[in-house]
Amino acid sequence: MRSWRLLDHLENGAGGAQHMEADLALLAEVVAGADPALRLYRFVPPALSLGRFQDERVVDHEVCRRLGVEVVRRPTGGKALLHGAELTYAVAIPRPDGEDGTVDGVYCVLANALIAGLARLGVTARVARHDGDRGAGPACITSMQGADLRVGDRKVCGSAQLRRRGAVLQHGSILLDRLGFDETFLLVAPGDIDLRGASVTMRELGAPADPHVVAGALIEGFRETLDVDFR
Amino acid sequence: MQFPDELRYSSEHEWVAIDGVRARIGITDYAQDALGDVVYVDLPAVGLAVIAGATCAEVESTKSVSEIYSPLTGVVVEVNTLLVDAPEHVNQEPYGSGWIFTVEMADTAEVDALLDAAAYRRLVEEE
Repeated sequence: MRSWRLLDHLENGAGGAQHMEADLALLAEVVAGADPALRLYRFVPPALSLGRFQDERVVDHEVCRRLGVEVVRRPTGGKALLHGAELTYAVAIPRPDGEDGTVDGVYCVLANALIAGLARLGVTARVARHDGDRGAGPACITSMQGADLRVGDRKVCGSAQLRRRGAVLQHGSILLDRLGFDETFLLVAPGDIDLRGASVTMRELGAPADPHVVAGALIEGFRETLDVDFR
Repeated sequence: MQFPDELRYSSEHEWVAIDGVRARIGITDYAQDALGDVVYVDLPAVGLAVIAGATCAEVESTKSVSEIYSPLTGVVVEVNTLLVDAPEHVNQEPYGSGWIFTVEMADTAEVDALLDAAAYRRLVEEE
């Protein structure tokens, strides 16, 4: 059984930028030899995160300011994602050897833990594969990738990675509920996207939507699937 | 999986083609395969001074960002601007049109510390 650090930051009150710094710090610690870590947190107030290299001009900053949405940049890849009614996880691990160490390999290993956690709440999720019909537009939630988990054909969890010096940071969001607005309000040209049709929340699935309850289930999913001992 | 004999390699999965004091650098076939489809390459600036082992570029693949380290110390004298609009060359021709940058070496003796094709192949097979 491997020893992992568990950081419950659900109530730490940090802003979006601080959360991104905390995730990077987690990765830096693992690069320096620290044990792997699972960090759980929320964005309060809401934040719109952009992918590492995504053009910031996709954001309607005036609307974000009016709605009190902080705009932050993720260190990881991917597209714009609105955070506020979800549970976010961050995992930092040494890059596994062999196939498990590839981008897809790490997604697959961690997906098993996330799926096991969601199963404890009665949600049957599975890994989404690439889907040529989606992926257009600047919003993350409409692009279906191997990194994502879906229930039926709707995304319930999206994730992204940063790989640095033999270690991997992966973070992602489990949709718990909806805010009163979505990414289409915050982007200049969101394109012809149907966020509600492409995604599903825990509440809509009739599953627990309390972040503490979902966090507890995820921790058990990691414990059971990856044979880790949290401290 | 290709490991061209005429190249040298770093343990961080970069390849190096030596031409006098210049070294052309890219990521290996193994690395591009592990990362998946490359969608963006953040190239270093021409003129940037780089140190062996330090980060000097980033590659974004589908749902992942990975750092690229310079295997050699020197100055970046050329970057592959083809990748700005066509980053897929990193996947399609990792040892050819997918090269990333060229360094003018400060100390050609650093090349001796790089792996040859056989040693790099062993490293990959052990991973």
